[in-house]
Amino acid sequence: MNSRRVILTVRSNLVSRNDRTRIDKVNAELVTLTYGTIVAQLCQDYDSDYQEVNKQLDKMGYNIGMRLIEDFLAKSGVGRCANFRETADMVAKVGFKIFLNVAPTVTNWTSDNNQFSLIFEDNPLADFVELPDDGRAQDELWFSNILCGVLRGALEMVQMQIEAHFVSDVLRGDDTTEMRVSLVRYIEDEMPPEEE
Amino acid sequence: MTVYSFYIFDRHAECIYKRRWLPRPTSVAGKSQIPGAVGSSGQTVRAGDDDAKLVFGTVFSLRNMVRKLGGEEDNFVSYATSQYKLHYYETPTNIKFVMLTDLKSPSMRIALQQIYINLFVEYVVKNPLSPVEHPGGVGVNNELFEESLEQFVTRVLA
Repeated sequence: MNSRRVILTVRSNLVSRNDRTRIDKVNAELVTLTYGTIVAQLCQDYDSDYQEVNKQLDKMGYNIGMRLIEDFLAKSGVGRCANFRETADMVAKVGFKIFLNVAPTVTNWTSDNNQFSLIFEDNPLADFVELPDDGRAQDELWFSNILCGVLRGALEMVQMQIEAHFVSDVLRGDDTTEMRVSLVRYIEDEMPPEEE
Repeated sequence: MTVYSFYIFDRHAECIYKRRWLPRPTSVAGKSQIPGAVGSSGQTVRAGDDDAKLVFGTVFSLRNMVRKLGGEEDNFVSYATSQYKLHYYETPTNIKFVMLTDLKSPSMRIALQQIYINLFVEYVVKNPLSPVEHPGGVGVNNELFEESLEQFVTRVLA
C-alpha cells in the first residue's frame, strides 16, 4: 500500500521541453481522503439522499472528464480509436493506468460490440471506505460514481455519447466492482451556424 | 519566417482564440472582393470575425474533402497560395489549430501540436477556474496562455 502512488498530473513547460515525460506523483491516501471527503460532504448536503449523491458525483465526474481527455491526449499522444472495442481497451489499459494506476478488465461484451463491463480488482478511490450503516447506503449509494461521469465526459469529447453506471461494488458486499458502459451513438461534427 | 495569424476553433465550430501578428499581404485580404463591388457597403475590409469564419469554412471543407478522398484517418497538414501558407492541426477532441505564415516557413504541424500540448492543455484546460468550454473565448485569453504563445511565436518560431 505504502509504495503505491496515484499519478495525477504531468507538468511540462516550454523551457524544459525535455522534461515533458516527467510524471509527478501524488500520495494515494491523499486522493482517497480527498475523494472520500467530497462524498461524505455530499451525503451530508443532500441529507443522505443517495440517488442525488450519485447524480452529483456523476456530474462532477463529467466536468472532470471533459478536461481530463485533453490531458490524456496530450500525454499519451494517441489518435482516434478505430472502433468501440479499441476504445474500451484504451480506457482500461491506458486511461485508468495513467490517472489511477489501475487497469480494470474489459469483459462481458454484447454481440453488437456496443456494451462492455469494466471490472475493477483494485479501486484507489474506495480504500479505507465502509459505507454508512443506515440500511440504505448499501443499496443506493455508488461510492465511486464519479468514475462513470469521468468516462462519459471524456468520451463525449472524442465524439462518443455513452452511458455508464455501476452494477456491483465490493463496498456493498458484492464479489466484484463492475461498471457497465454502453455506446449510445457517435456524435457528428458540429457545423458552424448558418449565416443569414 | 513570419507568422501572420493564429486561430483556435472548438468542437462547436466557434473561434475561441484569434491572434494577429502582422497584416497579411493586401492581395490576400482583398482577394474575395470583386472589382467594382466596393460600393455602399463600404470598403469591405474584412471584419475580424468574418475572417475567422472564412478560415473555419476553408479548413472544415478541406478536411472533409481530404477524409473523403484519403480515408477517415487522413488529414491535411497545410496548403499554400502564392501569398501565404496555412498550417492545420486537429486534436481527436475536434479542436482545430490554424496558423498562417509566409511561404518560407517549414511545416508547423509539430509547432501547433506543441501549442496544444504545452500551452493550451497546460494553461487553458487545466485552469480549474476557467470554464470547461469556451464560448466567446472565455478562459482562453488568460495571461499565462497569451504570454507563452507570444514567447513561443516570437522566440521559438522566429
